[in-house]
Parts: sequence; structure tokens; C-alpha cells
Amino acid sequence: MPDATFRSGERARVDESTLIARSRTGDLQAYDRLVGAYQDRIYNAAFRITGNREDAWDAAQDAFIRGYQGLRSFRGEAGFGTWLHRIAVNAALDIVRRRPRAPQELDPMLAAPDDPAGDVLRRDVQRRVHRAIAALPPDQRTAVVLRDIQGFSYEEIARVMQVPVGTVRSRLARAREGLRVRLADLSRTVFEEDA
Amino acid sequence: MMTRNHVTELLSAYVDEQVSPAERSRIETHLSQCAQCRGHLESLRGSVALVRGLDPVPAPAGFQEAVRARVAETAVSPRRAVALPRLRLSWKTAGVAAAALLVGIFSVNLLREMQPRVVTLEGQRDERQMGQSAGERSAATAPKGAGPLAPSAQPAPGAGNIAPPAATIPGFRRIIRAAHVTLAVDDFDGAVRRLVAIAEGAGGFVANSSYAQTGSTPEGSFTLRVPAPRFGAVLEDIERLGTVEVRRIGGQDVTEEFVDLQARVRNLERHEQRLLSFMDHATKVSELLAIEQELARVRGEIELLTGRLRFIGNQVDLATVEVAMRQRTPKAGGFWDFGATLRRMQAAFLMTIRQILGAIEKAGVLISALAPVLLLAGLGWLIVRRVRARTV
Repeated sequence: MPDATFRSGERARVDESTLIARSRTGDLQAYDRLVGAYQDRIYNAAFRITGNREDAWDAAQDAFIRGYQGLRSFRGEAGFGTWLHRIAVNAALDIVRRRPRAPQELDPMLAAPDDPAGDVLRRDVQRRVHRAIAALPPDQRTAVVLRDIQGFSYEEIARVMQVPVGTVRSRLARAREGLRVRLADLSRTVFEEDA
Repeated sequence: MMTRNHVTELLSAYVDEQVSPAERSRIETHLSQCAQCRGHLESLRGSVALVRGLDPVPAPAGFQEAVRARVAETAVSPRRAVALPRLRLSWKTAGVAAAALLVGIFSVNLLREMQPRVVTLEGQRDERQMGQSAGERSAATAPKGAGPLAPSAQPAPGAGNIAPPAATIPGFRRIIRAAHVTLAVDDFDGAVRRLVAIAEGAGGFVANSSYAQTGSTPEGSFTLRVPAPRFGAVLEDIERLGTVEVRRIGGQDVTEEFVDLQARVRNLERHEQRLLSFMDHATKVSELLAIEQELARVRGEIELLTGRLRFIGNQVDLATVEVAMRQRTPKAGGFWDFGATLRRMQAAFLMTIRQILGAIEKAGVLISALAPVLLLAGLGWLIVRRVRARTV
């Protein structure tokens, strides 16, 4: 299936395929390098889908373990990142369905070291957006996380979630509508600032 | 009408430029006319921008190390990559392996349970035949020795009146027993003497014997006639004379013919009686002559049938045992009996081939017996793999 994903993946990382091939033969160091390359992206997706750090850790860990175990079934028809996301999304949704919980109050998470101490407003916005996402149904949440946070194309999302592109479109529409309603007051201020 | 419809649901895709040209023109036409939808699009873009503006949350410290440790835990050895079915030490595979083992044990036990049953069935049938031959005569005189067939007849004693008597009344069966035994003996002359002794000891005789000495090994064949009840015992005694190479035991059930002959003889005898009474009343010579002629024919037939009856009775009473014997080791082999060595080599060669063929046959039987189980296991494995692939 020569699609855009495959080609872009190929172009982006030539040595990725060799790392994958070496990991497949049991080279733990090669896989460790793959983990290093993807851990932030995968953890981020897991965090936004599960809504809290604890579950995000578990989901992302599971994803990398399952990824290593399932490396043999990775046929390279999608990019490695897309494939890994599929595993991570499944792991995260597994956890969400098994133990649904309220989204965490996430004060420390956004306290980046270079964050100016006074940027309280910014942190508040981030917190509200996070909570709005966490309030969405899991399917819609996953779609919007993959699209607007992880930056996947509709086709890639369809592959990750294993649903038709049309379903991705409608889920995204519903998710964004939910977010729009919840964040209506914030978006106006943002727009005013931008404009 | 289309333009009056709001395009709210398409706006999300429109933001991503994921709409068809037709949709796009419809949306844009609508947007140019509908302020409400324009506002909607604006706020949608705003919220999307908010989501896109979220700071990425990197994996916490120690995440990669934790993955490394867990992966190393699951990985067994690099050699595993070469092995055909990559075994992964997880609870799932352990469970699958345990299930497969259980199924295997179960099917092997099933096979083992079925195998001896077949063997014992054959054994029982043999016993019954032997017991019948041995108990047959005694059954005719003593009803208690009716043999193993009796219990099946006892529950319905009245049924004997309706069914053919030969089939149901124990001890009524007329069976001609015959056996052929080929023996290899160490001492040929001694074996012949003991053979004669066995026949006479059982109340029978050697009906036929022939000797031959080809090369250094004497051979002979003998026909023994022994009373049917002693058939089994005699056979056992004979087989003790040497190594049995061939044994064939045959039984011919002549009950039906016997009964038929008896009935025909009875009919003919009645006919004879009637002819005799006709003769008493006959007045003309021509009548007398005709009756005489018919009487002669009937008597001839009675003679024939009783002769056949007697022959069958004799065959039934005296079982036939054919014994072919040959000397096992040459009497005067000289320094080295090359022929014997050759024969032994041939025998060993054939034995090995027979064993190999036997093993192949057993393997074939086993595989075909396990085929359904393997099929199921394979199917299960495929499903497990599919399920695993889906979860991955």
C-alpha cells in the first residue's frame, strides 16, 4: 500500500527501518533507540487520551512492550509511528474502559522549567482545554487527540483507529463541536488576542 | 433548499480541507449567506487552535529505562529469533501451551483406551471359537457345557420355537474345524514321534504323512484327525513342539447343510413308507413295477444323502490338523552352514523392514487420529494470533 504515510515515513527516517529490523532479531539496544525516539510522542498521546499521568505511564509502557512483542506482525504498510500509535491508542482505551476516572488536576504537569512564574492565565487555559478533551467520549477524544495534538492525517487516523475515513470525519466533527461549546469563552479571547 | 441548510457538520472537515469540491462550493456559498455559520466556523477554528496550542507533555524521567527493563524481561534470548515458532513467555502462551498439552494427553489416552479394546475383542472372539470347538461335543451330551453361546440363548427360551433351531439351540451347531500349522523344530525325528503320540493320545490318528529331506534339513507334512472337542488342546500341544511360523485356523459351519440333509432324508423316508404301503395295496403288475422303480430311486437318494450326512458328521467329529514341520538347525551342517546364515540374515533384514513399516503404519494411524485435534489446535492458534494482532 504505497500511501503518503509510508513514503513520508521512509523519507523521514532511513535508519529507522534498520533499527526495526535489528529489533526484530532481538536487538534490545536497537529497540531502546526506537523507544527513545518515540517515547515523548507516544506518552503525550496516552496522556491526552487517558487524561492522567498514572494511566498515561501504564498505557505508554504497555504500548512499547506490546510493540516489541508484536514487532514481527509489523509489516511496514503503515509508518512505524502510526503502527505504534495504534498500539498505544488501544492500550490507552483499554485502560480508560477498564478504570474510567475523573481527569486529574494537573498543576505540576505544565510547569515547564522555563515557564515564567506569572503565566497563570496560560496554565489555566491549558488546564481547561485538557479537561474539555477528557470530558469527551473516548472515541471522539482519541480522534481529536490524533488529529489536533498528534497531527495525523485523516487516513492515518483511520488506520490507527481502524475505522473508515468517513467515521474519522464524523467523530472529529462531533469532538470539535463538543470542545467548541465547552471552550467558547476561551476561543473568543484567543481570537481577540490573535487578531 | 440546500443553501438554507446549515453546514455545521461539515465545518470541522472544512477546517482541515477534507471536503470534496462539491461540498466546498456548497459550504462556501452557504457561509457567504449565513452569518450564524460564519460565527460557528470562527469559534470552531478558535477551539481547534486552543487544542493545537496545548504544550506537548513529554514522557517523564525514567520512562525509557522502565521500558528497557520490561522489554529485557520479556525477551528471552536472541537465538529465539531463529526458532520457527517464536515462543514468548507470557501468560497467554503458557495457557495455550498448557491447553495444547492437555488436549494432547487427552487424545493419546483416548487412543490408548481404544486400542486395547480392539485387541480384547479379537481375543474374546478367538476364545469363543476355541471354547466352542472344545465344548461342542460335550454340549451335545451335557446341557450345562453349552459354552459361551448359551447365555445369549437363555433369556428367551421360547424364541427357539420360532427361529430356526440350528441357530439358537446351543450345541446343535455342526462345525468342521481345520487348522494348519507350520513349525520349525530342533529335533525333527523326536517331534514326529511326539506328534503321533499327541494324535493318538487325543483319540485321533495321523491320516497322512510325508517326509522329504532336501539338502541337510528334513521336512515333513502330516495330517492329523482328532476328535473335535480335543481340537484346541491338540493344537496347543502341537505348537509346543517348536516355533510356530504359520498358523491358520478355519471353521466351516455346516449346520444348515446338516439340518437340510436330515430333513430331506426324513422326507424321503416318509415317501418310502408311503410307497411301501402302496405296494401292499397294488394289484396290477405294472403298478408294482412302477412303485418298485420309484422305491429304488428313493432309496438310492436316501443312501446318497445319508452318506453325505455321515461324511459331514465325520468331518465335524474329527477335526483336521495339518502340520508342516522342518528342522530348524541343520543336522549335518559341517563347518559353516552358509545357507542358514543367509536365511538368518534374510530373516533379520525382513524383520527390520517389517518393524520399520510397522512404525510408519503406527505413526500414520496416530497422525490421522490426531489430525482433527491438530486442526483444532491450529485453528485456535490462528485465532489467538489474530486476536493478538488486533490488540497490538
